[in-house]
Amino acid sequence: MTASFVALEDVCKIYNQGQPNQVRALHNINLVIAANSMVCLQGASGSGKSTLLSIIGCVFPPTSGRATIAGKALSRMPDRFLTIHRRNTIGFIFQHFNILPDLTVLENITLPLMPLGIGPGARKERAERLMEMLSIGHRSNFPARQISGGELQRVAIARALINDPPIVLADEPTAHLDHTLSLAFMEIMRELQRAGKTIILTSHDPLITQHPAVERIIAIEDGEIHVP
Amino acid sequence: MMSFARQANIIDYSLSSLWRRRFKSLGVMVVFAGVIFLLASFQMTTKALTNAASDILAFAPEITIQKMKAGRQESIPLEYKEKLAVILGIRAITPRIWGYYFNETSGANYTVLGLDPFSMPLGDQLGEAIDTGALPLDHEAVLGQGVFAELAGGGDAVIFSLFRPDLSLKTFSRAGVFKAETNILTYDTLFMNLDDARDLFSLPADMATDLCVTVANPNEVQTIAKKIAALLPDTRVVTRQQIQKTYQGVFGWRSGFASICLLTALAAFIIFAWDKASGLTPEERKEISILKIIGWQTSDVLTLRFWEGVTVSTVSFVVGYTLAYVHVSFFEASLFRPVLLGWSVLHPALRLVPSVELGETLLILCLTVVPYLAATIIPAWRAAIIPADSALN
Repeated sequence: MTASFVALEDVCKIYNQGQPNQVRALHNINLVIAANSMVCLQGASGSGKSTLLSIIGCVFPPTSGRATIAGKALSRMPDRFLTIHRRNTIGFIFQHFNILPDLTVLENITLPLMPLGIGPGARKERAERLMEMLSIGHRSNFPARQISGGELQRVAIARALINDPPIVLADEPTAHLDHTLSLAFMEIMRELQRAGKTIILTSHDPLITQHPAVERIIAIEDGEIHVP
Repeated sequence: MMSFARQANIIDYSLSSLWRRRFKSLGVMVVFAGVIFLLASFQMTTKALTNAASDILAFAPEITIQKMKAGRQESIPLEYKEKLAVILGIRAITPRIWGYYFNETSGANYTVLGLDPFSMPLGDQLGEAIDTGALPLDHEAVLGQGVFAELAGGGDAVIFSLFRPDLSLKTFSRAGVFKAETNILTYDTLFMNLDDARDLFSLPADMATDLCVTVANPNEVQTIAKKIAALLPDTRVVTRQQIQKTYQGVFGWRSGFASICLLTALAAFIIFAWDKASGLTPEERKEISILKIIGWQTSDVLTLRFWEGVTVSTVSFVVGYTLAYVHVSFFEASLFRPVLLGWSVLHPALRLVPSVELGETLLILCLTVVPYLAATIIPAWRAAIIPADSALN
């Protein structure tokens, strides 16, 4: 396993720079997240936590400052390489799951493998292992629209893990889950952490922020890390 | 190998994507195939007609002389042949009767051709156009397929009668029937010998409707035609080349007119395709943003759209072109026949042989598939540069 960590130095992000609608989303963020840890980004809506998650997730580079994710500096990295780095390093779990409803569970999970040129047999084999681990193997050929919310999230987790990324990002993962499913989700995250993954969550949910597996809470306020 | 496997995966995904949007895809394919069907049918029909006309006109006389009076054609005296004796290079001059017979029963006009094939150079070649039977002797006629079908009326039309101008009947026996391949010129034709035609139309014995000139050297046709025109100023001298040009011109004009109509349909299709391809639904935009954030490159999304476009246009092209072939071969191009064949009451039931030429096929491909692919790829590129983080919101 590659030593995976996140290091941000004086990171700023400005949207629409030089335009009348310029927005400063992040300002002088300095942050280090150790490999194999579980942290939670906490902040109100519009605080900048999604932007921070996007930079950590290699979705776009910062406007200024230095961001090193899993050993690679993102600054001035072209979009093409950013995508490759994201594909190999990051697994995303979205608030609304972002599962394609007309695809089957298996097709959704294996979607990230398609542009890698991995054949159908190998794709299925990898997906079956994850589906087994997440107890959704019996739903493999069901269209995603026909399965429950809890199962949908497990599909999203399986899709995030299909490339075996060292970092898993989850954006408000329990926002649409009941208490039981939220607890189950956190147990899965704890297992992943034990398996060596670095877990970064965003949430307001006390179930997450107070969960014993979460080692550190990072509070974001007006684009800056808030130190209480 | 990696690239091939990647392409195979993306093709696999594009096919399943088309299937998921099958009603939209099917709608585009139906319209697309319809446009290709129209263009290809039209192109095949026009080409088949001009090819057929060119082949058959090879048997037409090299020069035809018609007497004109007050700007209209009238019978030409056979003594004009003597006046042309001074022109060197004329191999033979054969009188011909070319007239029309109106069949009141069916309301059709027959073309009556009176010739003496046994006294004209290469006259025996006319026999090659006859399917069954032989060149007509006295009181015999060779019938075009349409005339035969009408006169036979379910029988075999061995003997039939036609009215002279004084309403007396003249009886013929059938010597043969023209080949179906010559339908474009012979479908409504009754071919008989010169004396019988003269008798049918009550023409004087020293008259014909025109004189057919055969020349010794084909390179001298234009020169000889000019000399004839100078020598016989009251005649119209028409060369075979001019007749061929007229046929090409008639088909060309008609095909040009119809082409404009079809190009309008093509333009409408391109607008339709653009609208369909560029009108990304929120679901499609979301799908692209999800694909991007989970690791698909912009080029992967473009490749996906490219294969979708290729699939839709290839299937539509094959279906449209095949239907066009069937339409021209088995349904005698029934949609375009009235446009291309014009006025004749007895419409030739053509057995057209569709002409599939690489150049013409590529032209249709360029006019349809290329604009469609452009209409697919360009909006797809616009969609593919959606920021990946839009899936986060």
